[in-house]
Amino acid sequence: MSFWFTCGGMLAVTFGSRLSGLTLRMRLPAFWLRFLHFVPIAVFAALVTPSLQGSRGEGGIRVAAAVLSGVVAWRTKQLALAIAAGMVAFWLLRLLPG
Amino acid sequence: MPLWLGVVPFGLAYAVIARDAGLSLIETQALSLLVFAGSAQVSAVGLFARGAGGLEVVLTTFLLNVRHVLYGMSLARRVPMTPRERVVGAYFLTDEAYGVSIARDAHTFPFVLGAELSLFITWNLATLAGALLGGVIPDPEKIGVDFVFPIAFLALLVPLLRRRADVVVAVVAGLVAWLLSKWLPGGLPVLGAGAGGALLGAVLTRKEPAE
Repeated sequence: MSFWFTCGGMLAVTFGSRLSGLTLRMRLPAFWLRFLHFVPIAVFAALVTPSLQGSRGEGGIRVAAAVLSGVVAWRTKQLALAIAAGMVAFWLLRLLPG
Repeated sequence: MPLWLGVVPFGLAYAVIARDAGLSLIETQALSLLVFAGSAQVSAVGLFARGAGGLEVVLTTFLLNVRHVLYGMSLARRVPMTPRERVVGAYFLTDEAYGVSIARDAHTFPFVLGAELSLFITWNLATLAGALLGGVIPDPEKIGVDFVFPIAFLALLVPLLRRRADVVVAVVAGLVAWLLSKWLPGGLPVLGAGAGGALLGAVLTRKEPAE
């Protein structure tokens, strides 16, 4: 049940933002325009780090595979390619002894 | 259209992550049909997996999606729309649809709606395919599917880093979230580091010209 409350809340804030821009006449101060530019950067970065280490003592190889995945994302800008490279590197590094 | 090509892997990744986070097929699809906001949906399922509360998920969604106010204001200035068209146009508005509508000269409501609906259909089909795929992966824990979380967000983050301030904000927000996650449960580290990081960026760039 709590999922559907959360889903309803997400719908409300998302649709509310989209509709208010299309219907209301207003101007945002420059400071908040710059704030909005940095929101996805800060949120995505904040989602990466807490889950990077994992819970099975594989922190080292997970960080190494993530670095490789980040380099692929930087060079290619292809989401699917970066995720695939990171997962394959992770699986290969796990196979190494030690 | 190349626009759709970018949406498909994103939608697949979202749905696989959502299923791994414990969402059912219906719930995974419902977010794509009702909320229809890629980065907010991926963030939400990432937060669900961390055991975040509903309020934390909704606040993070708001933080991420309040930028749509800007798209709406910009579109409303260029495209004449009736009140009913505004409601329909708002429901399906996304970053990509806004980008396409602004880039073309054809500033009419049918063009905007066509761009929006093509993305909505592609996003939902990719969600369905990913949700079915995510449901049949055997023993997801053992093959380390949870590692998709950090690298998917990393792959979303990296192309956004264009200026020095972008990199500073990403590093600080990442470090703060990592430290906070040792003491605070659920979605609070993400919400705190996200809002704090964006504030830091706005302060750091106060002397730079707007993009």
